[in-house]
Amino acid sequence: MTPRSARALAAALLLLPPAPPVACAASAAGQPADTLAASAPGSAAAASGQSAAPANSTARAGAPASGGARHDSAPAPAIRFEEIGARAGARLTHHIRKFHGNGAGVLQMFTSGGAAVAVGDYDNDGYEDLFVTDSDTGRGCHLLHNNGDLTFTDVTAAAGVGGGNEPGMIVSDALWFDYDNDGRPDLLVARFGTPLLYHNEGNGKFKDVTAASGLNKFTNAIAVIAFDYDNDGYLDLLFGNYFKPVNLLDLKDPHVLPNDLDNAVNGGGVTLWRNQGNGTFVDVTDKAGLGRHTGWTLDVGHGDFNNDGWQDIYLADDYGTDRLFLNNRNGTFREVTEEAIGFDTKKGMNVDVGDYDRDGWLDIYVTNITDEYMKECNMLWHNNGVDASGKLTFTDVSRETGTCSTLWGWGAKWADFDNDGWLDLIAADGLRSAGEKNYIPVLLEMIVRPGVDFTDVNNWPDIGDMTWSGYQRKKLFRNLGGQVFKEMAAEAGVDNAMDGRGIAVADFDNDGLLDFYQTNANQPSLLYHNRTSSPGNWIELKLIGTRSNRDAIGARVTAKVEGATLIREVNGGNGYASQSTTRVHIGIGGARRIDSLEIRWPSGLVERLTVPLNHLSYVKEGSGVVAGPGNGGKAKAKGRSARTKDAP
Amino acid sequence: MNRRLTWFFLAAGLAPAAAPTPGPANQSPAPSNRPPAVEQGATAPAAGPAPGPAPGRDPAQSNQSPAHSDQSKPDLGAMESAIAADPESLRTASEYRQAVIRAREYDRAIAFFEKLVADRPQSANAWLNFGYAYVDKIPAAGSISQVILANNALTRFSKSIELRKSWLALYTRGNSYLYWPKIFGRAPLGVADLEEAMALARSGPRKNVYARNYVALGDAYWKTERPAKARATWEEGAKLFPGEPQLKARLARAGNAEALEAYISDQLDPNKRVDTDLRPLWEGP
Repeated sequence: MTPRSARALAAALLLLPPAPPVACAASAAGQPADTLAASAPGSAAAASGQSAAPANSTARAGAPASGGARHDSAPAPAIRFEEIGARAGARLTHHIRKFHGNGAGVLQMFTSGGAAVAVGDYDNDGYEDLFVTDSDTGRGCHLLHNNGDLTFTDVTAAAGVGGGNEPGMIVSDALWFDYDNDGRPDLLVARFGTPLLYHNEGNGKFKDVTAASGLNKFTNAIAVIAFDYDNDGYLDLLFGNYFKPVNLLDLKDPHVLPNDLDNAVNGGGVTLWRNQGNGTFVDVTDKAGLGRHTGWTLDVGHGDFNNDGWQDIYLADDYGTDRLFLNNRNGTFREVTEEAIGFDTKKGMNVDVGDYDRDGWLDIYVTNITDEYMKECNMLWHNNGVDASGKLTFTDVSRETGTCSTLWGWGAKWADFDNDGWLDLIAADGLRSAGEKNYIPVLLEMIVRPGVDFTDVNNWPDIGDMTWSGYQRKKLFRNLGGQVFKEMAAEAGVDNAMDGRGIAVADFDNDGLLDFYQTNANQPSLLYHNRTSSPGNWIELKLIGTRSNRDAIGARVTAKVEGATLIREVNGGNGYASQSTTRVHIGIGGARRIDSLEIRWPSGLVERLTVPLNHLSYVKEGSGVVAGPGNGGKAKAKGRSARTKDAP
Repeated sequence: MNRRLTWFFLAAGLAPAAAPTPGPANQSPAPSNRPPAVEQGATAPAAGPAPGPAPGRDPAQSNQSPAHSDQSKPDLGAMESAIAADPESLRTASEYRQAVIRAREYDRAIAFFEKLVADRPQSANAWLNFGYAYVDKIPAAGSISQVILANNALTRFSKSIELRKSWLALYTRGNSYLYWPKIFGRAPLGVADLEEAMALARSGPRKNVYARNYVALGDAYWKTERPAKARATWEEGAKLFPGEPQLKARLARAGNAEALEAYISDQLDPNKRVDTDLRPLWEGP
């Protein structure tokens, strides 16, 4: 496509908005001529103030972003997925670590996580790759290179990232993050043990730099996220630690389990590592005000909950209350749990963050356990915003919205699967699918035994081949307009009954529809390709920080569409055992234009720009839209040509 | 307190109410701090002779009206003294427990009744109220602590029955079994208790409260997959107590098994608070 034809198409497609006030002098200026975002102030389209829809254009399918009446008679989107893991070469079987000796079965149960997945384009070819973990001795993790045609090639050996399950160590989670801002995603592997940090050498190979990084603290980490808590331009690491720091594989004292099954305070808490910008990290947990937390942290999440431009954190704790910390903007956090969410006694399993009702405040979805014998209900924390006194509060609306039950919940993610402008939810569940006998009645005998010491591994009955909350169907909640959700996993074809753990969402074939990868404990993984019919329009942004961290984690994108305000933040691994794409995907339904698009970078820089619809755009901090690294041409929508023909 | 469910629906089994995710921002009422740890099942004193009301006797008849202080600031100590002086008084103990709920002094009540039964091990109603004290704490506990509390309550109800088979104790324990998830297989135990309670009810003067026995026994049959017997029980109850809304509600759905199941499940939802106020025993006909 020539630059001229590209601009002509862009002008028609974009229906460019009035030139907005430019908070950043750079704005979209400087973008390459061949990008479709012909939108900078001063452009012909922008100068016209506002473009009208071409006379012969028709609204695209999908509900309008405003959630009101549809623009046309297009059919409502029908969310559908096809499981293609085996065909794609992405089917990998996870293996739980086997224990030996007294309490082996119990410890195996308590460490039954570890089936994790992280999405990242490690070779910058415009296609999202996968890193998938395993946890048993002798089992390796896998790096799957995305071939761009919905197939993957296992490149683990060449990359040198298959290790981690050495004796005494159990792989539990993984994370892509560019810790040295060199433009190449590096890889962190979290473990029950010490983490592994691999530096991306840029030639398909990785180098183990753990020793030099200073990440040498033994914890029983089960979750890890990257975000820039002090906005210094370098990504820091927050680990969620489940057990206290004892080596479960060489247990000296059997008293390692929760001291209370609803209010446990003998867990591993969290560890915050500050990136010093020179390839090393330093433990700042206590200094940052997080050292007093001793819960059984099962997941950690971040987001700017109070809209002050700084990243806050939510800790989902098993066997006890979750915790919310707000960023003091000086390298420390303050706990606001009591005033913001109150104290709970649930089994927190997952944290994901998204503005499901488009009110401009980030909400939080936490899975708990809602089973026949444990009726906890999940928590959909609606962010009420900051009141006049400066207090941030949330209200749990999971029951009202229909998102209460995901059975024995695990990872759950916000994603707009039909591009209608509303964030849907996909949730994994299921603990252990095994024999016919149920472990719960056996466990009950222990729980109600007078004076029993829950902490003692030897007091827990052996599970043998029994099933415990197994064979549970996954849940997909379609957002019906910000107030209520409809569960439609079976209809969408994703109601598998595997023992799910992580859910990583990304557009693996760059077709404008979000797919997802599901890991399962001790079972094969699944890859779901999104085959939704009549989806809405969309934009997708890959943000590249310059003053901010290179991955732009923490950047907030605000799109105004037909009177609605949609916000998205780039997150660094929110959600249990999974990292979704760091690209920002925004569906806009049947709308044919975005009235304004603003990026607030972690550095504080605010840019306004326009980008083409139904296209992946690379946006560099201070430079606006740029060509995609490697092959930006490949990274635009494939197979959607029919959907772009409504433009002249 | 939500009085949608009357005391007849006492749930010693898994009966949380307000969501245990409290906080000022949460829609649910919230304790201001973490629920205290759950006391593990204390051992019951040895059983002895059963003084007090004979089986089937209206338990309210032996109640005394206790002097109590301003409900907004109850003098729990004075109420405890009154109970200690007459541990068989359901009325005194019921009012005390309601005050305890308002003050969220659950552990105090449990400790009080534990001492009371140690001092008066032959008091069947003291054991019964001990069980109720555990039930009262359930809404303030986490999901697993709820199981422990519910089991503790059942143990105390059983001790009360061991001392004296009163209609109230049998009904309470039988109904409590119905709240346990099916996986634990306790519904058949509920049938047995509720049938025995029904026999006691039929042996004496008719009381409006007995209508609930028909409701619960029908539910017990339903939960043990005997729908015809369930319906017959509700119909029999409806003839004797035509104004009973719970019986009407079930019979109105009797032709639709799915709707009936949903309704009963909702009625026995452990996430809804149950009312342990015993006033209907002496306030109704």
